[in-house]
Amino acid sequence: MLTHILKLIWKKKRSNFLMMLEIFVSFLILFAVWSLSVYTYRNYATPAGLSVERVWAVYLNFNTDNDTLRNEYREQLRQRLKSIPEVEHHSFSSSNMPFSFSSSNREFSHEGKSRICEVMFVDSDYPNVMDVPLQSGKWFTAQDTFGDTKPIVITRHFAEELFGSEEVVGKIISEDGSSKKVVGVVPYFRHKSSYQEDGNCAFQPLSNWDTDLLLKVSPDAEFEARLARSIQQIGKDWTVEIQHMDNMRSTQDNTVIIPIMILFIVCAFLVFNVGLGMFGVLFQNINRRKGEIGLRRAIGATQKQILAYFIGETVVIAGFGLALGVFFAIQLPILRVLDVAPGIYLWGIALALVSVLLIAVICAYYPSRQAAKIFPAVALHEE
Amino acid sequence: MIHLKNIEKVYRTDTVETLALHNISLDIAKGEFLSIMGPSGCGKSTLLNIMGLLDEPSAGVVNIENETITGFSDKKLSRFRNRKIGFIFQSYHLINDLPVLDNVELPLLYRDVSGAERRRLATEALEKVGLSNRMKHYPSQLSGGQKQRVAIARAIVGRPDLILADEPTGNLDSAMGNEIMEILEQLNRNDRTTIVMVTHDEGMARRTHRLVRLFDGSLVSSNSFYND
Repeated sequence: MLTHILKLIWKKKRSNFLMMLEIFVSFLILFAVWSLSVYTYRNYATPAGLSVERVWAVYLNFNTDNDTLRNEYREQLRQRLKSIPEVEHHSFSSSNMPFSFSSSNREFSHEGKSRICEVMFVDSDYPNVMDVPLQSGKWFTAQDTFGDTKPIVITRHFAEELFGSEEVVGKIISEDGSSKKVVGVVPYFRHKSSYQEDGNCAFQPLSNWDTDLLLKVSPDAEFEARLARSIQQIGKDWTVEIQHMDNMRSTQDNTVIIPIMILFIVCAFLVFNVGLGMFGVLFQNINRRKGEIGLRRAIGATQKQILAYFIGETVVIAGFGLALGVFFAIQLPILRVLDVAPGIYLWGIALALVSVLLIAVICAYYPSRQAAKIFPAVALHEE
Repeated sequence: MIHLKNIEKVYRTDTVETLALHNISLDIAKGEFLSIMGPSGCGKSTLLNIMGLLDEPSAGVVNIENETITGFSDKKLSRFRNRKIGFIFQSYHLINDLPVLDNVELPLLYRDVSGAERRRLATEALEKVGLSNRMKHYPSQLSGGQKQRVAIARAIVGRPDLILADEPTGNLDSAMGNEIMEILEQLNRNDRTTIVMVTHDEGMARRTHRLVRLFDGSLVSSNSFYND
């Protein structure tokens, strides 16, 4: 029967070409959308390596360029925060704190291998504020900051990029001529959004100009106004802005998920139109072939065989469009385009294949069922 | 072979009821070549469709080869048509996108027959109708007479006991019609295939064993030509 279907399709290749093209384009669109969805979901399912629950970001401006003054202010603030019972942990931080719109990249190297990495400058209490677990080693303390070689904590991803599978704690890496000693490794630290890919990130002790603050507050704490007043009592000309980090994360997540949602809606609209087009073409095709249907029924085809025949014909036509689509799509993992794991593309191909076939079968089902219901005597008479 | 008893066929719409066949009883013996004549719209094709199980009578009994055709499932009816009946139509009903050989193979697609066996049987059927040199041609490359011979090959490829021909020479000139009639006569004579043919041509009808005439849905006469 397959050879029979193929012969008929080949003979009508011109009229079938448009449907194949439609299927091919639909496949590519769905492949892109599914690959992006799988990529986003995989990232979402990966542990974040931090917690934003009960974390407040306090953006502070001391209004001074004097490093000594800044250090003094920070110390005063630390003392003040210790007196506020709702503050469980606190850490000063560089402005590129998690889920902020700020970023700071540095290039690190080891034995000729260089990698770019996001670097955050933080206090020793930072892991308690952000609930950052350690995979190996330890977090740096104030004692570690003395000496020429500064301590650094890096993510597992960054460690693997620079050192492969070697144990990294105690290793020295260099950044712009200065040496850093790896004292600890964290398993993950996805700080840009919930949908960010696991990547390179490192933590170094606070520098003189880092004045922003992160607080871990007690459950149900609502003392932003009191906190702001308390801070401004130390420095009257300071500017203070307090944000909840879960809101910051939501904002960042929206910048990722809203374009994907828009893409989904556009894609759904396109696929719906393709489906309608296919439905119309198949319906017209079957109407034109009523005589053939009558003949097939007369010579022994059952209703089920007519239904299967027309669905089968659509699936075979779709199969050609899909084969062409898969040929192009498979080039992406083979050529390692966009530095995305090959598995994501393979999932994208599989899901797009299933989606397009499902659309084709759904669109073919009703016209084919109508064809199967045609009474042979009527169909033969109409011809 | 075929026993029709008190066959009635009524077509109903919301407002109109049309009596297409009225109280038709007819027995057709195995190996008989029967022709049906009558004016247009008298119910000839309806009667043929009922014999071919393409249509159901509103009342009456259809018995083919000692099997009463009532309450058959779609699968059973289709299987019966596929195994026992071959159809020939006035307008040939060939699939223009398939070569002659594939058109002839068509009924065997709905049987459990291998591709090689299908080709062998189809070739054999085409040889019988003298078209073995046109197997790879498409219907559009054939004359009307050749198309009808392909249709006959398709009707006989499954070796049915009964052939139902609805005006098989209706679209052909007399020479080609004559060729088709000779093939049908041969099939009837050599293979003892029962043939029921609807025709408007008195001359063709007189070449069959028996002629029945219909008028306004009723059987009005039956003439035997066995002795002619």
